[in-house]
Amino acid sequence: MDRTLLNSILKKVEKPSRYTGGELNMRVKDLSAPDGGKLCRFALCFPDVYEIGMSHLGSRIIYNVLNERDDTYCERAYAPWFDMEDELRKNGLPIYSLETGTPLGEFDVIGFSLLYEMCYTNILTVLDLAGVPFRSRDRREEAPLIIAGGPCVCNPEPVADIMDALVFGDGEEVMNEFMDVYTDWKRTGGKKAELLKRLSRIKGVYVPGYYSAEYDDNGNFGRLVKLDPDAPDSIERRIVEDLDAAQYTGKLVVPYMSIVHDRVALEIFRGCTRGCRFCQAGFIYRPVREREMSTVIKQTDESLDCTGYDEISLFSLSSGDYSHIHELVPLILDRYEKDRVSVSLPSLRIDSFLKDDLEKIQKVRKTGLTFAPEAGTQRLRDVINKGVTEEDLLRSVHDAFVAGWHGVKLYFMIGLPTETDEDVLGIAELARKVSREFYSMPKELRGKGLRCTVSASTFVPKPFTPFQWEPQIEVSEVLRRQALLRQALKGIRGVEFSCHFSETSRLEAAFARGDRRLSEVLISAYEHGARLDSWDEHFNKPAWEAAFAENGLTVEQYANRRIGTDEPLAWQHMDAIVCMDYLKREHEKAYDEVTTRDCRKGCNGCFGRRSAVICRGRTEVSE
Amino acid sequence: MRLAVVFTKEDPVRFVSHLDVQRLFQRAFRRAKLPLAYSQGFNPHPLVSFATALSVGMTSRGEYLDVMLTEPMTTDAFRSAVESVLPDGVRIAEVFDLGESRKSLTSAMRSADYFAEVAFPGPADADGIKQAIADLLASEIVVMKKTKGGIKPVDIRPMVISMELVKTEGNTAFFSMTGKLTAEGGLNPETLLGELYEKLGTSGAARIERVRIELDREALK
Repeated sequence: MDRTLLNSILKKVEKPSRYTGGELNMRVKDLSAPDGGKLCRFALCFPDVYEIGMSHLGSRIIYNVLNERDDTYCERAYAPWFDMEDELRKNGLPIYSLETGTPLGEFDVIGFSLLYEMCYTNILTVLDLAGVPFRSRDRREEAPLIIAGGPCVCNPEPVADIMDALVFGDGEEVMNEFMDVYTDWKRTGGKKAELLKRLSRIKGVYVPGYYSAEYDDNGNFGRLVKLDPDAPDSIERRIVEDLDAAQYTGKLVVPYMSIVHDRVALEIFRGCTRGCRFCQAGFIYRPVREREMSTVIKQTDESLDCTGYDEISLFSLSSGDYSHIHELVPLILDRYEKDRVSVSLPSLRIDSFLKDDLEKIQKVRKTGLTFAPEAGTQRLRDVINKGVTEEDLLRSVHDAFVAGWHGVKLYFMIGLPTETDEDVLGIAELARKVSREFYSMPKELRGKGLRCTVSASTFVPKPFTPFQWEPQIEVSEVLRRQALLRQALKGIRGVEFSCHFSETSRLEAAFARGDRRLSEVLISAYEHGARLDSWDEHFNKPAWEAAFAENGLTVEQYANRRIGTDEPLAWQHMDAIVCMDYLKREHEKAYDEVTTRDCRKGCNGCFGRRSAVICRGRTEVSE
Repeated sequence: MRLAVVFTKEDPVRFVSHLDVQRLFQRAFRRAKLPLAYSQGFNPHPLVSFATALSVGMTSRGEYLDVMLTEPMTTDAFRSAVESVLPDGVRIAEVFDLGESRKSLTSAMRSADYFAEVAFPGPADADGIKQAIADLLASEIVVMKKTKGGIKPVDIRPMVISMELVKTEGNTAFFSMTGKLTAEGGLNPETLLGELYEKLGTSGAARIERVRIELDREALK
């Protein structure tokens, strides 16, 4: 790497500390392995900009897991912002790792974290700047192994032609098994085909090259054919059984620039028992596994000590559901009160009874409060199995207002299955009641002025949810419903409206339920200039339109089609453990407007025959 | 008690912005478990102030900050507690006790010395450069400066105390500069070099280091 040249570039680009590394607690290793061989060089790449990637808990765990190994050095890389990509190209420089400034093309393995579909073109930016061919079949023996993990792997097909292998589920254990095989293969110096064969025998590892897809006469996905008789029929999601024994983030790298989640994030449990029917995370992280309070405290101590952060977030999909939440919050607040550490609870449900906890949190620092009723009427909330009521919401906001908050965010979705105009207008009604709740309080009891943000995103059907067969509503209809809601919210005191641009939601829907043909669409879109698509202001619509057209496909056939519950699904070879029969039952219940109980109150059988084995001991009734 | 700290800022942190340097020290002081004094209000923060900002990309051998503590601590104890928790590129050069003084470090700043390594597209001609410096310093140096009221012409000559060519090596020239640096503002050495390039009719890529800030410690008493 030409350091002088790089430094002159860094002076020109926005936020140069995205690209410099050298942060506190960054791992530094001697590049020769203890047995005299060479370390396996692993580039862990989050395909979005630094401040987003550094906020992702999962990659920070994997960074620690890999670097705890003596035979592996894991370094980080992120997608460059537009200015940096231009400068690297103009100056003929490759994308490089933050730890040692090594060009990415020189690594043994490049592993991508796939957190959302709209980051896929950034994978190509990174590969392109690393000089690595996009399609796995075009890569030579000496090219790095290209792999991916993360929640999007539950439908890996849109990136199937790009990835050599994908890892499905919790990464803590399987990545060690993966590296055991990799380092052993590297020592013996075999062909890549042998490596892939050995990797495909690890539970949870998917090698897409062993399969080929067929399509039906209507141009829809037909089936996946095995090209190798030894390849597994289905890929079972990996689950870490014991979160107390599992490795966590260890010594957190402390960024210089401010990142999106700039605090210690401690995962208090994984999984969610609620079963909201639109929520992919609610299904693909099952079963619920809690961390003991003592482990949480120990890890909090270690994380605060080595970082100097003054805020921790008790992280999970629904933090109010943690069994010991009412003990944990005061315990942590008391423990760090003198150090002025504040606590935040993301993903609070509005039916969690947290009044006292909120008051205590407020004592240290005011953090934002977000509530997610998701839908405007009780009928629709029953359809999606949200299981919260208007009373829950009004009680929660009342408690928050009493505790001194005057800013709340209300999060909704537009376009949920069975939604009518009445449901859309119900959102405005709910916002009106929240506003009334605030202004009906005596002035001396409430904050100065209400700031209630109503945010409405567009529903995206996702694999492994009961709504995976549902179409997304057409763009024109999204826009009409957004306008309807905007109009209805006008004039409500203290309420403002923000809604997500619908083009990206549409593409997200296409890629979420996409098949293998989208790999080529992705590559075309990249070649037409699509980059950083999740940044609405940079969304390149013409590039995507051209890409779909060139490949004889349409966004609509993926995003807006109702898939029959008996039709083949492009992701059905992925075994998320939650079984299809259960999802079908939930789909029917949605249309019957019947809710399903929280499975902490009794098993609903989502794992089918495997419920007793994989979820044992977690389903006892707790009141 | 109030302590002043002189610290360095070198690779890999020279691209870290001033705001981020402030946070870097707040976190380091927390890791060092110092008895920090906090501000009042909804978002209490440690009472740490910086004498001045350093341009992003510049390195420095001596920047100044002060920190308020709730308990007395010797400068040596402070130094050893903090040194072990600082990231690469930041070292403590000196710690001194500010006693009962409440005056800001900024108010005691006078000037700063800079060293610049400049790469030119072609060979650096020492005589030509020396002549250009003499020409440049002989009269007003008017540059366009962005201010609140828009872009205005400003004469930066009064800010320049000295500018010298130290040596040349191939395409590279080394300069030392001293400019005013006070609470009212200071010389931007990058701007001055830019004017020199113009006089020379060429371009240059500079790597600049702030060698020293002249701070009148008597004025703090």
